[in-house]
Amino acid sequence: MKYLPLIWSGISRNPGRTLLIFFQIAIAFALFGVLQGMKTGVDEAIAQTRADLLLVFPEFFGGAPLPIAYLDRLQSMAGVKTVTFADGLLGTYQKPDQSVYVLAIAPGDIWLTLVPEIFKVLPRDLEALRKTRTGVLMSEDIAKKYGWRIGDRIPLTSTTLQSNGAGNWIFEIVGTFTAHEPGSGGYIVMNYAYLDEARVKNRGTVRNFYVVASDPRQASAVAEAIDRTFVNSSTETKTASLRESAQQQMQAIGDLNFVIRLIVTAVLVAVLFSTSTMMMQTIRERTPELAVLKTLGFTDRAVFLLVVAEATTVCIAAALIGLAFAMVVFPYAAKFVPGLSMPIVVVEAGVVGAFLVALISAALPASRAARLEVVDALAGR
Amino acid sequence: MSFIRQYWALLRMNVGDLRQRLGLVFTIMIGVACAVGVLVSMLAMGVGARQEAIGNARPDRVILMTVGAQGPFQSSISKDVVPIIRDLPGIQRNAKGDPIAISQVLVFVQARNRATGKGIGFALAGVSSGLADYMPELHLTAGRMFRPGLHELIASNVCVRTFADFAVGDKRLMRGGEWSIVGNFHMGRTQGICVVFSDADTVLSAFGRDSYNQVNVMLESPATFAEFANAVKANPSLHVEAKHEAEVTEQGMKQFNGILNFVSYFVGAIMAVAATLGAANSLYAIVDSRRRELATLRAIGFSAGPIIAAMLSESILLALPGALIGAGIAWFCFNGFAASPFGFSFHLAVTLPIVSLGIGWALAMGLFGGVLPALRAARVPVTTALRAV
Repeated sequence: MKYLPLIWSGISRNPGRTLLIFFQIAIAFALFGVLQGMKTGVDEAIAQTRADLLLVFPEFFGGAPLPIAYLDRLQSMAGVKTVTFADGLLGTYQKPDQSVYVLAIAPGDIWLTLVPEIFKVLPRDLEALRKTRTGVLMSEDIAKKYGWRIGDRIPLTSTTLQSNGAGNWIFEIVGTFTAHEPGSGGYIVMNYAYLDEARVKNRGTVRNFYVVASDPRQASAVAEAIDRTFVNSSTETKTASLRESAQQQMQAIGDLNFVIRLIVTAVLVAVLFSTSTMMMQTIRERTPELAVLKTLGFTDRAVFLLVVAEATTVCIAAALIGLAFAMVVFPYAAKFVPGLSMPIVVVEAGVVGAFLVALISAALPASRAARLEVVDALAGR
Repeated sequence: MSFIRQYWALLRMNVGDLRQRLGLVFTIMIGVACAVGVLVSMLAMGVGARQEAIGNARPDRVILMTVGAQGPFQSSISKDVVPIIRDLPGIQRNAKGDPIAISQVLVFVQARNRATGKGIGFALAGVSSGLADYMPELHLTAGRMFRPGLHELIASNVCVRTFADFAVGDKRLMRGGEWSIVGNFHMGRTQGICVVFSDADTVLSAFGRDSYNQVNVMLESPATFAEFANAVKANPSLHVEAKHEAEVTEQGMKQFNGILNFVSYFVGAIMAVAATLGAANSLYAIVDSRRRELATLRAIGFSAGPIIAAMLSESILLALPGALIGAGIAWFCFNGFAASPFGFSFHLAVTLPIVSLGIGWALAMGLFGGVLPALRAARVPVTTALRAV
């Protein structure tokens, strides 16, 4: 404790320079926090994704959609707890570039518990949807985007045509739901019955089924059984758990991990070099002061530790500020993956990294300071 | 003494003095090199992706999709409107006198990655006759063209390289049937994605479809686009709109490029600020170590203007090699480097414009980093500096 004033006087000796290096380190670690946070956050989110919820899609995207008759066969399969389905249409609101996705579901109570981490709806809203045939529920994002309120009637133009040949769909907003789906900018939910009866093409088909396996450990066996059941039928299926499909999506951005690693390395190299030279420079300038300390009886080790402590204090304090800043801006920077929060492990890694940067960059200057010969130093040699 | 002469004397003195401060010099250079290197590499991704995507686009090719469709999978063109489209004015005719307009149906099919064995999708395009007329850049490198009515496919060489079972003679199981690969081809400048072609009607019936996704048309000349687009618009029963090939491609890449550009400039800007701070810090140290010389110069009549100008020039001169090193590393390591984020593979392209942009940023870093130290250098008090030993 008695060394604290000494460390502080070392830090505040040249406040301008300390401030500059402080900000440089803080910025570097803010960048580290945001980038590494995104990567780790996505990895963690995938690991937490449910493995017992299976998505049944047609084997070929763009091919014929799945017949709704599959519902009964799926329900009767061994190891299947519950089954439901969804379809959808893509519409535009007012302008061609304001696209709105409309998810069509059969509003049974199963939706209350099916995927609350992605799609959360209250019984009251579900009941409202059941009662109004042309009703829709909206998510908060989309309500804010277009200024919609409950009770509004909204016209959408869609490429899904109705039997009268028109692509105009009119919906009445009857409630809300909460969506946490990564990558979607908000959508609305309609009655499947309304969609299926009104559309001219693809009647009696769905986009996909949701199957909940009764035993999560048996989920992959159930998935295989489903695909086997429908092989050689009119529409073959491709079943994958929610976790598997998340993994596949993220695999696609795999090369971004490489980019992130590249940037983080570049940032750390630059910071390491910078702190190291700055420490070297201060030690050179403070040679007489260090010599005085030694004259007063400070051992080589004490001087070494003093210099290291100074570097560590600055680095860790700056890294903490930077990481705190990263946590604040994280939701904006990671807006491409909504719902992501910065994992605490990244903060820990950042602090450890800052400590290492301090140690490595201070090692050489500190050992030089420790080896000072008092006579030479005071004589200015 | 004139401004210029003072400036030159100072600049020569400063640059000569740098040999004694290699550590600080390297700090500036490495900071700038890292910032420029990262910026240039990231921008090279965007440029590479764009080159790959629109490398083959021609101004005389037009794509017709349903009004408002954001991509081919949202578009649907029924069989009975195709003859109407083929009769529209402005369409180029082939040697036999038929209009060059091919209907396409797209299906997304799973394949296996050659290296990892993991599943990954590819687009199977069923095309009506006339593919060779519409796409003269398509060259078969092995095998022959597919024949209508048979389960035959031709696959681009990218498919052969990245996925299993796409070489001539390989068989694939799709929709319960066996499909044979009868040809491999390459397509001009675009090598990026795996493309597989087959006969349109065969694909329609095999996949239980009754409409196309899009119709691709070659015009007599780029100038007839307006005439053609108006004719399309004038017939509301078609319910389609005509867009240039490049426009459709750009639309498909909008989100990808948006993310990439945001990340490039966001990260680039933050790193540039850090590098500027690092440069300022090193320059402060350099100025501090020259206090005595500067005070002496002030004492013999050097004025503040040349001192500031010389210091700023020195700072920019130090940033410049950093920029060249950074851009050089980016070029050396990543030019032609194959990346495939979002399942779209392309080669990074480090081009002159982005290197110039990187150097421009570096000059700005040098300039801003040098301002405060330069002011400090100009304000060194003559007396205190001379007193300091």
